Amino acid sequence: MAAQAAPVAITGLGVIGATGRGVAAMDAALQQGRDGVGPLTLWQSPLDFPVGEYRGPRLEAYLPAPELLPRMSRSDMLALVASHEALQQAGLAAPALSKARAGAYMGQSVCGTLTSEAVYIGAKESAAAGDTGKRSYAGLLVHEGANTLDLMAKTFGLPGPTLNFLTACSSAANAIGLAAEVIRSGRSEVMLAGGADSLSNIVFNGFCSLKVVSPDGPRPFDRQRQGMMVGEGAGVLVLESLAHAKARDANVLALLTGYGHSCDAHHLTAPHPQGRGAIEAMIGALAQAGLGAPDIGYINAHGTATRDNDDVEAKAIAHVFGDRTPVSSTKRFFGHTLAAAGGVEAVVSVRALQLGELPQNLGTQDPEPGIDLVVQPRQTAVTHVLSNSFGFGGNNAALIFSRSE
Amino acid sequence: MMGVIVTGIGVVSSLGANPQAFRRALLAAECPCRPHPFRRLDGSVVTAPAYIAQPADAAGLIEPKKLRRMFRLARMSAVAARQALQQAGLDPAGMDPSKLGVVFGTSMGALEVTQKFVDSWLEQGAQHASPLQFMNSVHGILASQVALDINATGVNLTTAQRDICFEAALDTACSLLEQQRADVIVVGGADELTDLLHECGSRLHQFTLDLAHRGIDPGGRRGAVIPGDGAAVAVLERDDSPRVALARVERTAIGRHDVGDEVVSLAMKSVGTIDLVTTARDGSSRSAVAYKRAQYAVPSVSHLGNFGQYPSAGAQQFAANVLMLHHSEGYAPLVDSRPGPVPDVPKRILHDARSVSGNHAAYVLSRA
Repeated sequence: MAAQAAPVAITGLGVIGATGRGVAAMDAALQQGRDGVGPLTLWQSPLDFPVGEYRGPRLEAYLPAPELLPRMSRSDMLALVASHEALQQAGLAAPALSKARAGAYMGQSVCGTLTSEAVYIGAKESAAAGDTGKRSYAGLLVHEGANTLDLMAKTFGLPGPTLNFLTACSSAANAIGLAAEVIRSGRSEVMLAGGADSLSNIVFNGFCSLKVVSPDGPRPFDRQRQGMMVGEGAGVLVLESLAHAKARDANVLALLTGYGHSCDAHHLTAPHPQGRGAIEAMIGALAQAGLGAPDIGYINAHGTATRDNDDVEAKAIAHVFGDRTPVSSTKRFFGHTLAAAGGVEAVVSVRALQLGELPQNLGTQDPEPGIDLVVQPRQTAVTHVLSNSFGFGGNNAALIFSRSE
Repeated sequence: MMGVIVTGIGVVSSLGANPQAFRRALLAAECPCRPHPFRRLDGSVVTAPAYIAQPADAAGLIEPKKLRRMFRLARMSAVAARQALQQAGLDPAGMDPSKLGVVFGTSMGALEVTQKFVDSWLEQGAQHASPLQFMNSVHGILASQVALDINATGVNLTTAQRDICFEAALDTACSLLEQQRADVIVVGGADELTDLLHECGSRLHQFTLDLAHRGIDPGGRRGAVIPGDGAAVAVLERDDSPRVALARVERTAIGRHDVGDEVVSLAMKSVGTIDLVTTARDGSSRSAVAYKRAQYAVPSVSHLGNFGQYPSAGAQQFAANVLMLHHSEGYAPLVDSRPGPVPDVPKRILHDARSVSGNHAAYVLSRA
């Protein structure tokens, strides 16, 4: 467990997904209770399950460096659009980023597979048809998640460390927690941190193969829930040392105060039945923030709406916090954006602090007992918010965000 | 200066499937590069040079029940992890699992099982995709499989950053130890060369098909490289550990080109006397570009000609560097399968890993 650590400033937010492009669109969706449930339009699938797809105008129109488009996957585009928004809000651009030795840590899992799987499928079909004509394999060059980081470094002029973390659905939360440590260590003054993942055949077919996808969208923590909804998106924060933010008179939106992390070492996909790892991650985050459970005013749950995950998370939350801390999952707004989830939900958590409004646990009609589920938007000023992210392999991460004043 | 020591290493390599065999082959300057048949999507077979890792021998290290659930990459990694823990004298069963962490670097992850998963729905329909293959195809499952095997409930991370995969994992692991998020971290790098990867790499002119090339020439300027695969793992602990240190990690750094140059320059100046630089030069034109600005005041070698090039091959170089320091010996770098000059026995090694994409990582390793 990490010792108590200095808070890190958050000076920019960027988000994109089924709620639309940008924080304002996300705020509106959350306040209006507009879900992200819709049909899959990116490709034809025989599997009839809804997804949380970005359905706004073409991403290409919002790219900060469109000349790099031939080298981009859809995941890359989502990451760049969200990062651009976050940097604009922070008021940071190339010369200042370079001086601050800025870097980027991103959580990813799908990476460029929407592109590379198409190359593979095309090549396989051609081979089966005996087609010996030349095919382009250039799409494979965007397969690696590192492509996103390379594009971010090039687009925004980041000289510092650029790394991705692939811990499935906890990736972005880990990236954010680890990026804060880069700042604390003095290696960089500014870090872009979050996650990005697009939809792809591999993940959509994969989650369907696990029989955990709901036919009508997710209903987290509902006793009648039928499963999750695969989504896509990106959520990015600008993290900055407090000294750097103060020196340039930046608007500090919130503080990142705690990060806890653990591994269940129990099963490849199923969580530990007692939520052992989830509990350790939450307690670890509290310890780093120097807080106790009663200090947390709201928990943004991982809440995928699968039967096992919600059961275990509810137990773990109840174990650490009892039944009086407000909890909601925002997965019905975005779908499960996989590796991006921790980034998207970090943005949700910071907005809850800023607006004094807790987002509702959309889609739930028959709440599980044992936790205080926020079934309607709740106006209440909170000082500290905890966000959970849990992934395959029993990978658990929890972040704590706190008001800046 | 950081207080991190290396207390064990494990290796599954084309040079040998354990640290002892790996060391023997390095001392004997053996070249494991061989013509290898690769099956293409159209059913044809091409034979090309490659450095393929020897089969991982899990006997006595991993329970057969656990082994059955592991695909090749996870198996290599888990075996190397067990070897490293064994050398460190650590029995995971007797440790606080929350203080034991796993950090891995892998560029492509479990590619073989990912392809099998895609084939499962292409050939049988999306309704019949294999859940087992899907869950094993997830990148981070590599570190999770190792954690499952050794019951490590502490930090668990996987990173993929092109040619600095391992170095990035090492940098992350050292930071986590300094933050006291773990007492022991199993840090590794692993990638597998599959038929599909070879087909893609050769069609993109990154892998050579020329059988006249009998090994990598790190200093050469060939357009393509000879690929390899394998896994190497190190056990890292803070230097207050009671266990025997094989080597000491004095500094790690990652950044883009400019920062990287600065890091190397600083390391050369400030971390005592560096007497050997190891690099990830692979002899390709891309590598020549990446190292264009590299200047060292001391001899530099790349051992990629000894064990092959792949994105996380830095893990094998790390193992070789630890062995050089621990046993006070030098290993001749292979140049097109022939041994080059044996470097003087090093006391302090700077490793400088650069990739044409702009990624740059460095570490300084010294005798314990």
